[in-house]
Amino acid sequence: MKKKIRKILLVCAVVFLLMQLYQPARNKDDGQTLPSHITKLYNVPDRVNRIFANSCYDCHSNNTRYPWYSYIQPARFFMERHIRNGKKELNFSEFGNYSKRRQESKLESISKQVKSGKMPLVSYTWLHKNSKLTQQQKEMIINWIDTTLSDYE
Amino acid sequence: MGNQIDFITSKQKNMKTLIFLLSAALVFSACNSKSDKAKTEQDTASTIDSRSDTAKQTTSVSPVDFSIKGIVDNYLKLKNALTKDDAKSAAEAGNAIVADLNSLDASSLPADQKQNFLDIADDAKEHAEHIGDNASNIEHQREHFSILSKDVNDLLKTFPAGQKLYQDFCPMYNDGKGAIWLSETKEIKNPYYGSKMLTCGSVKKEL
Repeated sequence: MKKKIRKILLVCAVVFLLMQLYQPARNKDDGQTLPSHITKLYNVPDRVNRIFANSCYDCHSNNTRYPWYSYIQPARFFMERHIRNGKKELNFSEFGNYSKRRQESKLESISKQVKSGKMPLVSYTWLHKNSKLTQQQKEMIINWIDTTLSDYE
Repeated sequence: MGNQIDFITSKQKNMKTLIFLLSAALVFSACNSKSDKAKTEQDTASTIDSRSDTAKQTTSVSPVDFSIKGIVDNYLKLKNALTKDDAKSAAEAGNAIVADLNSLDASSLPADQKQNFLDIADDAKEHAEHIGDNASNIEHQREHFSILSKDVNDLLKTFPAGQKLYQDFCPMYNDGKGAIWLSETKEIKNPYYGSKMLTCGSVKKEL
């Protein structure tokens, strides 16, 4: 019986170690901001951009701040999936690749998601406590989007 | 001696299990992205299949006859599904709109029309995709439908629908900001609230 338990533990340990071999390319832009980045296209005030950087860019841009546990599988695996899905929905780094109209409807959706508290995801703010948006931060984002959209209409 | 053989075979067996588990783990992690891709490809294939009639029409007819009729037809199907609270049919119509948008070739259009079409189509496609992906969440479909309705409405400013349409307005939707929809009938059937408030809304204009 004891032998069996030891064997199972050994297998688990080996599987765990082998999993560590899977380390896909990291979502990092190495300080290079693309010309299609939202900050190059719209007048994003610093205070708003800081909120975006702190609460959104990890999954919605080409630059993720990886926490220490991201070096360990299977955490990394789930993280990459989140980032891939996040960027598919909205990528601030490649905002300029959306058509003008789509950019505007993205902004509207951002405002709605922030207002309703659907974003940032609870699973994200649970691990990144300081990324949770305060009421004041929410208003800053919503107000900025309101003025930006009315400028374009 | 017999013991020795037993020991070896059980060791081999263990080795086999171990190797199996390890390769399974590797395959699982390596194939994840692949299977996602395969799924989307399959999805696209099936939507194209179901729409092959319209797709054939648009590709075989000369490009001068650029027509958004397929989009309008499927938009109306989507609208009617939402009035009946039928999220599944709405999703099918949403996917069909994506296929229509993908099959339309704007390259023969005059520059300004082309620009206009691509600008709207890029947005419309995203909303149609979301509607297609949310067969179990009709409220989310309706959110995207409200923006898609604006897109289709603006497409009709440049491209003819080929049929009479009414632009209807629901003043309650979107936190009281209101939302439009397009209909082929004068009678009001509200797609935003379905059976809850079917006759709520008014005709804004005839197109």
